[in-house]
Amino acid sequence: MAREDYFKWAESVLDPSKTFEKPEALADIKIVELCTLILGPSLPSYLSELGATVFKVELPGMGDTMRSLTPFAKFFNGAALGWLKEARNKYHLAIDVRVPEGVELFKELVKRSDVVVENLRAGTMDKWGIGYRQLREINPRIIYIALNGFGQWGPYLERPSYDAIAQSESGEAWISGFPDKLPMKAGIWLADYYGGLVGAIGVLAALAHRDRTGRGQYIEYSQAENLMRAMDWTWLYQHFTGKCRERYGNRDVSICPADIVPSKDGEMVAIGAATDKQFQGLCQAMGKPELAQDPRFATHLERLKEENAVELLSLIRNWVAGKTYAEIDQLAGQYGFGAQKVSNGKDHFEDEHLRKRNFTYYVDDPIYGELYEEGIAPKLSETPGRIKWAGKPVGFDNEYVLKRFLGLKTKKIKYLKEKNIIGKWVDVPPGRKPPQNWDGKSGVLLV
Amino acid sequence: MEKELSWGDWIRELDDPAKNREKPEALDHITVLDVSYANMAGCFCTSTLAEFGANVIRIEPPGGDPARTFSPWGYMHKGTGLGYLNEGRNKFHVTLNLECEEGQEIFRKLAKRADVVVETFLPGTMDAWGIGYRQLKELNPRLIYCALYTYGQFGPKAACGKADVDVVDQAYSGVVSVSGEPPEDPQNPKPSEVPTKQGNWMGWYAGGAWASVAILAALHYRVQSGKGQFIDVSPAEAYGRCINYGINYYYGFKDTIPRVGNYDVGVFPYTYFKCKDGFAFLSGFADPNWKALCTIINRPDLQQQFPTIFERLNVDNMKIMYKEIEKWTMEHTYDEIFDAVMDYNKNIGQGVVVPGRISSPMDTMKAENWWVRMALETIDDPHYGEVTIANHAHKMTETPPRVKWICRPVGADNYYVYAKMLGYGPKRLEELKEKGVV
Repeated sequence: MAREDYFKWAESVLDPSKTFEKPEALADIKIVELCTLILGPSLPSYLSELGATVFKVELPGMGDTMRSLTPFAKFFNGAALGWLKEARNKYHLAIDVRVPEGVELFKELVKRSDVVVENLRAGTMDKWGIGYRQLREINPRIIYIALNGFGQWGPYLERPSYDAIAQSESGEAWISGFPDKLPMKAGIWLADYYGGLVGAIGVLAALAHRDRTGRGQYIEYSQAENLMRAMDWTWLYQHFTGKCRERYGNRDVSICPADIVPSKDGEMVAIGAATDKQFQGLCQAMGKPELAQDPRFATHLERLKEENAVELLSLIRNWVAGKTYAEIDQLAGQYGFGAQKVSNGKDHFEDEHLRKRNFTYYVDDPIYGELYEEGIAPKLSETPGRIKWAGKPVGFDNEYVLKRFLGLKTKKIKYLKEKNIIGKWVDVPPGRKPPQNWDGKSGVLLV
Repeated sequence: MEKELSWGDWIRELDDPAKNREKPEALDHITVLDVSYANMAGCFCTSTLAEFGANVIRIEPPGGDPARTFSPWGYMHKGTGLGYLNEGRNKFHVTLNLECEEGQEIFRKLAKRADVVVETFLPGTMDAWGIGYRQLKELNPRLIYCALYTYGQFGPKAACGKADVDVVDQAYSGVVSVSGEPPEDPQNPKPSEVPTKQGNWMGWYAGGAWASVAILAALHYRVQSGKGQFIDVSPAEAYGRCINYGINYYYGFKDTIPRVGNYDVGVFPYTYFKCKDGFAFLSGFADPNWKALCTIINRPDLQQQFPTIFERLNVDNMKIMYKEIEKWTMEHTYDEIFDAVMDYNKNIGQGVVVPGRISSPMDTMKAENWWVRMALETIDDPHYGEVTIANHAHKMTETPPRVKWICRPVGADNYYVYAKMLGYGPKRLEELKEKGVV
């Protein structure tokens, strides 16, 4: 009863349907983004969900290479799905920052902003006259983060990088996958998305410092180093034992039991018990409560020993093979161990729980139409996260931003267009222009 | 004079982590109570806040957190498992029995003066103990309270009662469904050709990272509004937010993204190849980059055969191109491949090919780069001795993160923290200990 009351209360304070009645945590923060692909763009995308105003600056015409990244070259209403997911909530500007008048516009934006995010090769921004060295002169409060593969100095300075290289050079790929297979690259751009996420922690920590002192700062950030920080016990294990951490498939050699095994109805089911109590529950569910008393399994440290772990995981594998996922799911709730089938995009789309929680998020976009995408991760009671629009074609918001935020005169904007300092999309390759059925005005601000 | 320095030299002067300890900390005005239980998402969140300077009080049950046993094959170092040891950073470790009334009363006193609470119990547990956000906000309206759980604090599955374990978070996130090798022979799939999780606790790390982002955003909001708030983070959703595409692909094309091993359904080539002495990563996706790769391996015919991304993103074509490229990589060592590619990038430079090594973590630990940049560091801990850790990646000019100590034994800071926060001396603590409260 008390718990029912708790869930009622929790839902009332977190209810996503009330999102737009509430303020945003970062409503006072403006971010200028000069980024390509995912590592850079994901960071302002996360902060935009919490209310930051983001000016995404691209080069006129082709814009961000990310506008081409879509599975099997399939475009959704003219947009690449990889791009679309991180284009949310941003103002999309196209400015040629390689020429002096473009540089001036960029600087005017930075003067009025709080954060700069870039992921170009080390020193590129400096060479263009819009690096931290120059920008801190015009805005000492600026928080500037530069994200890339290997940082701004050091032995790997000359090396270009990608997500997959961060995954491989950190050792993350080596410790993932099965022993009889190649090191496994995650099926997602892990070092990019998780890199942008932890990068955002640095920006917000810097903001906390600025809130107290008024001082901005520079943050240098390597995505490979970030993955190394997430590799839990790897470095201590190697330090103490001198042995290399290898890959062990789906079992977790540091928590037992924890594995992913097939059920009777063909689902792959993750099973885990992280405490003795959870393990005792699992044993009861299996109809073998005596296992929890067995000296080989009675304590976690005993369960973790290789021979005991292999034995226990094999018992669990056999048990799961004889049950449907629905049966296991029910037992896991009743007895308090962890169980979850491996879920995919269809499962997420159909999952009422995730919809209710605004993870599976519905967007009614004025340009790209209705769509669903991975939405909001943290739920905040006072300042809930939200998606306002999905994305825009190259240079779509030029006029609005230059007028509203920089106060440029219409004549000046026209001049900048004629000189190709600002510009819009090209028709080819796909992913840059508005969708075919666009009416020429939907989504245009300040018509 | 300053302007004459190259960019790299100039910025290194300002952000070299070797000077971290001379600089202030971003969060040293913030006190955090961490009551995560058997859950490394909570521990990573508070480690992160502690690395940026927060005063984190880690509260364990009197017997210690079961997470202290999370360690490969049960390897223990001075009584603590390696997974936990790694995330004890900069925290003060105290014990407190939250299941008894006296313990709850003490917790209320601590929370009254704290800025942040992080917990990972089943939803409603803290509330039932009278120390959930609902009760604490009455005592401390500025409190930011973050609860982490696989299925969150509301929604149809929130009350399911299932446990939060990293493997479960990874499975629910959607990432596992697109990771791992597809069966080579669908009639006879091998046990290793299945959806595959990341080897590390990636679900928990993503959960902890999102919790940190949300807490810091809430702190910023509090500066102006004076208001605290309640934060609900599911590590499964946190990790799922990191997916390339999944829901939008299903909505748009009524299909799911397949598992394609080390290929990428949106980019090719962008994968690991076997070479003479190991594995190399090579890429060449956009048309000019693909042309560059074909030039380097001297296969202009491949470029003509698969001229646009539309040909290159067909999985059957990927297999053909992969085999052809591998013929070249197999004839070379990794260093030869790296030099050939970098030489092209430097001297011809039409399009860019990006090379990389598939490194074992032992080789990673031997590479000088990470030590120069202090991504890896060996520190001397007052209790645990010499240990090697990975630092947070941020190098910062004003308030960089740092690791001051790695962990503390169970209850090691009881005397310090309880004296400082509540004025309890040794006699009072001894009484509480006898009653099983600390």
